[in-house]
Amino acid sequence: MSAGNLFLPALGATGLVLSCAILLATANRDRQELATAEAAIVTSETRIEDFKSRVERLEGELEAARAEVADLRAAAEAGDEAPAEGEEVAALPETVTPVTPSTPGQGNVENGKKLFAECSGCHKIGAGAENGIGPHLNLLFGRKAASVTDFRYSDSLIRAASNGLEWHADTLSDYIEDPRTFASGTRMSYDGMKDAADRRDLLAFLRTYSDNPADIPEADPTAVGTDHTVDPEILTLVGDAEYGEYLSSECTTCHQASGGDDGIPSIVLWPEEDFVTAMHAYRDKVRPNQVMQLIAGRLSNEEIAALAAYFKDLEE
Amino acid sequence: MGLNRRTFIGSAVAATTLSAPMVRAAGHGKPRVVVVGGGAGGATAARYIAKDSEGAIDVTLIEPTRTYYTCFFSNLYIGGFKTIDDIGHSYGTLASEYGINVVHDWAIGVDRDAKTVTLAGGATVGYDKLILSPGIDFVDGAVPGWDLNAQNAMPHAYKAGSQSELLKAQLMAMPEGGTYCMVAPPNPFRCPPGPYERVSMVAHYLKANNPTAKILIADPKEKFSKQGLFEEGWANHYDGMIERVGPDFGGANVEVDPGAMTVSIDGEVTNVDVCNVIPAMQAGRIAEIAGVTDGNWAPVNAADMSTKADPDIYVLGDASQQGDMPKSGFSANSQAKVCANAVRGALTGSRVFPAKFSNTCWSLIETNDGVKVGATYEATEEKIAKVDGFISATGETAEVRKKTYEESEGWYTGITSDMFG
Ligand SMILES: Cc1cc2nc3c(=O)[nH]c(=O)nc-3n(C[C@H](O)[C@H](O)[C@H](O)COP(=O)(O)OP(=O)(O)OC[C@H]3O[C@@H](n4cnc5c(N)ncnc54)[C@H](O)[C@@H]3O)c2cc1C
Repeated sequence: MSAGNLFLPALGATGLVLSCAILLATANRDRQELATAEAAIVTSETRIEDFKSRVERLEGELEAARAEVADLRAAAEAGDEAPAEGEEVAALPETVTPVTPSTPGQGNVENGKKLFAECSGCHKIGAGAENGIGPHLNLLFGRKAASVTDFRYSDSLIRAASNGLEWHADTLSDYIEDPRTFASGTRMSYDGMKDAADRRDLLAFLRTYSDNPADIPEADPTAVGTDHTVDPEILTLVGDAEYGEYLSSECTTCHQASGGDDGIPSIVLWPEEDFVTAMHAYRDKVRPNQVMQLIAGRLSNEEIAALAAYFKDLEE
Repeated sequence: MGLNRRTFIGSAVAATTLSAPMVRAAGHGKPRVVVVGGGAGGATAARYIAKDSEGAIDVTLIEPTRTYYTCFFSNLYIGGFKTIDDIGHSYGTLASEYGINVVHDWAIGVDRDAKTVTLAGGATVGYDKLILSPGIDFVDGAVPGWDLNAQNAMPHAYKAGSQSELLKAQLMAMPEGGTYCMVAPPNPFRCPPGPYERVSMVAHYLKANNPTAKILIADPKEKFSKQGLFEEGWANHYDGMIERVGPDFGGANVEVDPGAMTVSIDGEVTNVDVCNVIPAMQAGRIAEIAGVTDGNWAPVNAADMSTKADPDIYVLGDASQQGDMPKSGFSANSQAKVCANAVRGALTGSRVFPAKFSNTCWSLIETNDGVKVGATYEATEEKIAKVDGFISATGETAEVRKKTYEESEGWYTGITSDMFG
C-alpha cells in the first residue's frame, strides 16, 4: 500500500499578527534581564568585599605568625627554652606559606565527627582510607585542590586548581556551604551545609587528620562507606558493560552523562562497589527517593552490576 | 566516545546529500534511518542511533523549526520561573558532533512502497527505517467556534514557542480583576498534568500582579492527573481564585467566540479576557498521511515501537498508541531509546536488549512546591503495560516539596542533554 498524498502544513499566522502584546512581553523580558544583571553586579560586589576582608584577615594572621617566628628565633638565640633532649625543632619557614586560619581548638571536633556522617557515604578518612565516590580526606588542609592521585576530578575542580585553589578552612568552608555555587560543574552531589558553626565543627574534625600524617589515629576506623550492606556475592558479579550502556539510557534522562549536577546527582565514575551498594539501598527501600526506588526496584542483580560496570568508566 | 565526527553545517550540505538519495541507495551505501520530528522522541532516537552506531548508519532528521522550545517547563516560563531562552534548544550539536543530517523542512508525504519521504521543499529522502515522532495536532471542530485561525485570539500554547509567548503576553495585559479561562482537553492528550500545572503557574503570576483576577476552567473530564495534589495546592496558595466546571455542570459542552471573546458553558455565556483553548488532540498529521494511524493515533508494537501497519515505520511519543504510558516528554524519550536499540539491531546486527520503559512527570504548583508522579513499564504482546508506580503524597513537608522541585530542574537539564547532546 502506498500513501503518497501531500498536504500543506497549516503554519498558523503567528508570524504575521504578533500583537503589541508580544512587544510588551519582549520589553518586560528585557526589563527582567536588566534586573537580573543588576542583581548579579550587586552580588559580585559583595563577593569582592568578602574577598577583600578575607585577604585583610589573612594578612593580619601572617603578620602575627611572622612576629611569632621572630620571637621564637630571638628566644632560641637567647638560649632559653632550649629543646629537651631528643626533641626536634621544626625548621622554621622563611616565608610563611598560606596559613590555615583555623585550628582544631576553634571548632568542636566531637560534633564534627557526628556531622561527618553526611559525608561518609562518599568520602573516607583515617588510617588506610582510600578513594571512593569522592577522594579520601586525609591531609586535606593545605593541599592543592583536585590533587589526590588516582581520583578522577570534574573539569570544574581541575580548572579551579589550576587557578590556584588550595584547601584551607576558608575555601573548604565556602565549598561545603554550597558546592555547586563554588564550583558549578563539581560531581560532589551535596546540597551544602548552611550552618556556619556546623561547618566549623566539621572542619575541626577533618583537620585532625591533616596536621601531620602521624596524627592519623591508627585505631580510628575508616569511615563506613555506605548506609547499607549487600551480600558479598552480589559484589563479586561481573557486569556486562554493553548491556549497562543500553540500560544507562534510562538513567541519563535525568542524570547527565557528563557528570554535571543541576539538582540530580552525578553518577559517573563511581567505584563499582559504591554504585552497586547504592542501587541495592534504593531497591531495598533503605534510601528514600521515590523515583530511584522505582527504577532500582525492577533491576536484577546482574543489571545493577552491568550499570556499575558501564558508569565506572564513563567520561564524556 | 568514538563518534563519527563528520560535520554537516545547516541544510546546504544536507541538500546535496538529499538531491541524490537514490544513487546512494543503488550504490549500497550505509543503511538509512529517517526521523521525522526533532522533539522529545525524534531528537533522542536520532541521537542514540547516530551515537551508538558510530557512523555505521546514515541518520537524517527532518524538523521544520531551527529552535525547539520544550513544552516541558513552558508553564514555568508562563509563571515567570524560566525565560523563553531557557527552554529553547538548537540542533547544532546533533549535526556537528553526531553527524546527523539535520534538514529543516516539513515532511509532507510518505511513499511506503518506494520507501521515501517527500519534503515541502521538494526533495525526496529514501529510508530503510522511518521513525515518526511528530507530536500532536488538534482535532478539527473539537471546540465549536475555535479553529487554527483563532489561535492568536485564543492561544492553545500546547506547542511551545510563540504560542507560549503570546499566552503570557495576554496574561500580562489582562485588566485588573479580569478572567482567564481555560478550555481543558478530553483524554487522551499530551501531558495529563499539563493544563493543571498551567493553571497553577497562571495563578502564581496573577497572585503577584493581579490578585483580584479569576481563573475559570471548563473541563470535559470527571477527574484529572494529580487532582488531589493540585486541589490541595490551589487551596493552600490561591484560595478562591480558581473555579473548575466539570462535566456535571456542562464542562464538556463548551463553545467559544474568538471575535467577541466569550465562552459559553452549557449555554451560559461569559465574557473572558484571556481564553486558553486546548482542543482534543490526535497524532501529528504526517502519521495519518503515512497511513499508519487507526482513528486518531498510530498503534504500535510495544517491543520496538514499530507500527502495526508497517514494520519499517516506527511511531514514538505522543502520536503513538502504545498502551499505559502517558503522553509525556519523558515517555517519548524512553520509547525512543528502546526503538533506537531495536532499529540499530535490525540494521547492523548489534545486540538488542529487552524493552524497558519509565516515566516521571514533575509539576510545579507554587514556588518550591513541586510534586511528581512516576511509573515503570514493560512490553507485553498487547501493549506497553504498567509495572509499578508512585505519586507524591498530600501533606508533604515544604522541604520535600522543594527537593522535588530541585529534582525537576535536574531532570530538565538531563533530558535536554539526552535529546540534543
Ligand atoms: C504545557 C505542557 C507541559 C508539559 N510538561 C511536561 C513535563 O513536565 N514533562 C514531560 O515529560 N512532558 C511534558 N509535556 C509533554 C511533552 O512536551 C510531550 O509529550 C513531548 O514533547 C512529546 O514528544 P514527541 O516527540 O511526541 O513530540 P514533540 O516533542 O512535540 O516533537 C514533535 C516535533 O515534530 C515536528 N513535526 C511535526 N510534524 C512534522 C512534519 N510533518 N515534518 C517534520 N517535522 C514535524 C514538530 O515541529 C516538533 O518539533 C508537556 C506538554 C505541554 C504542552
